[in-house]
Amino acid sequence: MSGEGEKIIEFRIKRYNPAIKRHYISTYRVPVRRGTTILDCLLYIKENLDETLTFRYSCRMGICGSCAVNVNGKPMLACYTQVFDLKSDILIVEPLSNLPVIKDLVVDIEPFFKKFNKVKCVLIKPPESFKRVEEFIQSPEDHRRYWDLTLCTKCMSCYSACPAAIDDRFLGPSALATNYRFAIDSRDEGIEERLKTITESAWLCTSCNSCTLFCPKLVDCSTSITESKSLLVESGMIPRTAKDILENVMRHHNPYGIHQSKRMGWAGGLNIRAYPSVTRADVLCFICCSAAYDTRNMEIARAMVSVFNSLGVDYATLGEEEWCCGDHILRMGEKGLYEMLAEHNLDILQKFNANRIITISPHCYHTLKNEKPYKDLNLNVQHYTQFLAELLDKGALKPKGEFKGRVVYHDPCYLGKRNQIYEEPRRILQSISGLELVEMRRTKEGSFCCGGGAGRVWTEDAEPEKRPCVNRVKEALELEANVIAVACPFCTTMLEDAVKILEVENKIAVKDILEILKETL
Amino acid sequence: MEKNVHDIVIVGAGLAGLRAAVAAVEVGNKLSIAVISKLHPLRSHSVCAQGGTAAVMREGDSFELHAWDTIKGADFLADQDIVEFFVRQAPKEIINLEHWGCPWSRTPDGKLDQRPFGGHSFPRACFAADMTGFHEMHTLYGKAVTYDNIKFYDEWFATSLIVEDNSVRGLTAIDLKTGEMGVFQTKAVVMATGGHERIYEFTTFSHSSTGDGMAIAYRAGAPLEDMEFVQFHPTGLVPSGVLITEGARGEGGYLINAKGERFMKNYAPKMMELAPRDIVARAEETEIREGRAFKGPYGPYIALDLRHLGEDKIKERLPLIREVCIKLVGLDPVNELIPIRPAAHYSMGGIRANIRAETPIRGLYAAGECACYSLHGANRLGTNSTAECLVFGAVAGEEAARYAMSTELRSLPMDKALAEEKRVFDGVLGSEGSERVPEIRREMRQVMNTDVWIYRTEEGLKRALRKIRELRERFKHIKIEDKSKSFNTALTSALELDFMLELAEVTTYCALMRTESRGSHYRLDYPNRDDKNWLVHTLAYYTVEGPRLEYTPVTITKWQPTERKY
Repeated sequence: MSGEGEKIIEFRIKRYNPAIKRHYISTYRVPVRRGTTILDCLLYIKENLDETLTFRYSCRMGICGSCAVNVNGKPMLACYTQVFDLKSDILIVEPLSNLPVIKDLVVDIEPFFKKFNKVKCVLIKPPESFKRVEEFIQSPEDHRRYWDLTLCTKCMSCYSACPAAIDDRFLGPSALATNYRFAIDSRDEGIEERLKTITESAWLCTSCNSCTLFCPKLVDCSTSITESKSLLVESGMIPRTAKDILENVMRHHNPYGIHQSKRMGWAGGLNIRAYPSVTRADVLCFICCSAAYDTRNMEIARAMVSVFNSLGVDYATLGEEEWCCGDHILRMGEKGLYEMLAEHNLDILQKFNANRIITISPHCYHTLKNEKPYKDLNLNVQHYTQFLAELLDKGALKPKGEFKGRVVYHDPCYLGKRNQIYEEPRRILQSISGLELVEMRRTKEGSFCCGGGAGRVWTEDAEPEKRPCVNRVKEALELEANVIAVACPFCTTMLEDAVKILEVENKIAVKDILEILKETL
Repeated sequence: MEKNVHDIVIVGAGLAGLRAAVAAVEVGNKLSIAVISKLHPLRSHSVCAQGGTAAVMREGDSFELHAWDTIKGADFLADQDIVEFFVRQAPKEIINLEHWGCPWSRTPDGKLDQRPFGGHSFPRACFAADMTGFHEMHTLYGKAVTYDNIKFYDEWFATSLIVEDNSVRGLTAIDLKTGEMGVFQTKAVVMATGGHERIYEFTTFSHSSTGDGMAIAYRAGAPLEDMEFVQFHPTGLVPSGVLITEGARGEGGYLINAKGERFMKNYAPKMMELAPRDIVARAEETEIREGRAFKGPYGPYIALDLRHLGEDKIKERLPLIREVCIKLVGLDPVNELIPIRPAAHYSMGGIRANIRAETPIRGLYAAGECACYSLHGANRLGTNSTAECLVFGAVAGEEAARYAMSTELRSLPMDKALAEEKRVFDGVLGSEGSERVPEIRREMRQVMNTDVWIYRTEEGLKRALRKIRELRERFKHIKIEDKSKSFNTALTSALELDFMLELAEVTTYCALMRTESRGSHYRLDYPNRDDKNWLVHTLAYYTVEGPRLEYTPVTITKWQPTERKY
């Protein structure tokens, strides 16, 4: 390889020698040009630099699923990824996560397929149907309904990125998507069996969207898992813990099961303006049930008040008329209940005159912005980090005091992966003097979920070692950070839980960015 | 050494292997069946098959017509009794897959859709967009894993067959995870290991298609048939060689030279781009040789033009090749020409087998591309190979099952297994020479690409043969730097190269000896078909000095050879 446009890329490959059970890093310099894939580079290394480097590969056209690896923290097919597209002169290549490593980049695929094969991947029909000597009739529309889900190659990229997959009970995103593919195939008549296969598993999904994001074939596993849960809900196959949450929401319009009249309890003594006595403000704050009812997270809402007051923001809330936005409920598959919540909120939102809506939670942000029926209203909604970053850029927000500490920022899935808001929270943190911002290995798009989405924040029941939050806090501890900064009340709950489980309260604290900012005022 | 005992061992878990497993278990549900493969089944090369599977499904088409198309496409070297059997079985296999859930593409009235394909005079390719093999594989795998008595040995690398008194006793394989060699004692073995096109540099084939099963059977005494017939696919993507389905032309795509001409009008005025592959590949090669090809950084190329098909049709019917073009060469066929040239694509030859998939070794069956029945003769028609894998995979599975149920397990000569272990670990891995496997492999692929390509001559074939024999000599003095046990892919690459060198020699030697031009085998020094002397199959037998050839007549039932025009 030579000529124009050639470039040398440094490959840092995480190796494992099973004979002596040792992990180590090998570094290679590889010439690349436009069109060179990661697999081309691995083959170049093996043929020219180091014959001992071990990895799987076969079709080199993205269809056999052999060569998925993690590159710079994200799973991808080596053969289907051009080096230039990664825009990085150093590439860290590691084996897929969530599976034991056999050697170098080769992971043991047996646990993955053992789970996958619990899904029945043939049509289920009464035996007499198969006596038919012609095809079954299936319209092109019915064919299209499930087609995109048939494209899964079982490359395990989704499994590697999945927070739920650290729990053995979870069959994996691709398995659940494939199960759903058969459930909605008009030729299939095995819905009961298909739902039984996933009753335990589906509820472990946190709806973090990593599976969908990293699928090389664009299979939307995440949505198909949510849809599977809807089918479970319709059939009444809901676990007790989830049922409790749904009943709370049904009765009290929030998952905490506390009466709506207590919704403004967090604001005690703060003199907050609220609907219906106020119907106009520059900024309408959508507080979130977690910040309103969870004693710990009330501090976040209170911190926001301090910050907004210091900035002279003209703001108000919906008071007792703010109901749960419904995000968790929607991800739990209870579409009807979600619609009820959304209709109420929409009704009130239309009665309030604000220039913009600011949310504390990325979940409220995502739902108000992107989910029907909210979406149809084209609300001018921002997450508070966006709003504050704007003020920072205008020079209106100037953190005065110091915040001493080594801080690692954990990207909330609904802010980052779902809405690509990565820079604003970091910009705010970087504006604070004394604050040293460090990055976790799995960051931004590759961030690892806290485990709290899709109602998991209230229903999680796994042993500590299998909880994503514990996994995540350990990653922060490796960096010797003393604060994990977050921008989501659910992340706060989960990660703080993990800090307690690990008994590291004296080493590391979990703080919302608003709380950190408040300390600098 | 770990010993596993099964009634049947299937080697290879692509379409033919998986179909054989399902067929075997349906004949004998008490049988213990092992499927061993050096890859997880879903990583098999069959998933790369794109365009479709041929079967007579509709009014207007007929078995007679499918058979004639196949025989004419084969340049009359196909055994006609095999072809007649094959076309009758194919529709059942389509329906089987439909019953198991294959997402076949549909017509507006909800029936299976079929598209035109090269050399077929009726649109008879059933398809699942342009991922037909992929969907057939995932469907078959889903079916196969429902049976408890099919045991999968994923990532076991087969190295040799154990044969005594001309009957199969077992085989040896390396468990890649542990790196240990194990032995399988069995009544029957079904070889279903695919083709050997990785002996070429520019090929549509997966890295794993190294012809292991052909070489193993050959060394065990089974003859290889018609190995000189290698199909060159007209549309290998430049520069990788990745397959761009013939379905792209089936949907209406054009082949264009640098002058912007649809040059096929000069070669096959009637069928144009949908003439059989040997004819289209030769036409392209002629355009290249005569200077009418496009010039690019990776050498001359021809263009495949899909632009006039429109975005909707490309997205619906050819989504994979569009994705492949975007991912691998950064162009969108909706707006741009696809750079292609002929690529080694399929081996018409393989382990000689009869209509019951039996080889001359008792208890050894062969199915799919590694076998030669001969169904495809001198040139295979597109979509007949996935159909063949299904039809003859089923035959091999059923026949092996019947054989296993009617015969006793015979003793396994362990000395042969131990000798094989010594050959692999002391001989190959322990070799302390100075030659490097990647270098020998590169040189082999280069010479095959130069001298055993579309246009062949005595001089070139002799040069290639000398070179391959030199490389085989050098292979004896290799050094593998990775001496470890677990997942030693440097070792398996060396074993694959050993197999490929064997097959490269057979392919080249058979090509040298066939002094005529027929189907995919074109000799510039013998440009005509010679039915008087060469309407015969080549059989290559292993000897330590190199292949020994015999010839055997073609079975003709009712179609006499005629001039082949498209």
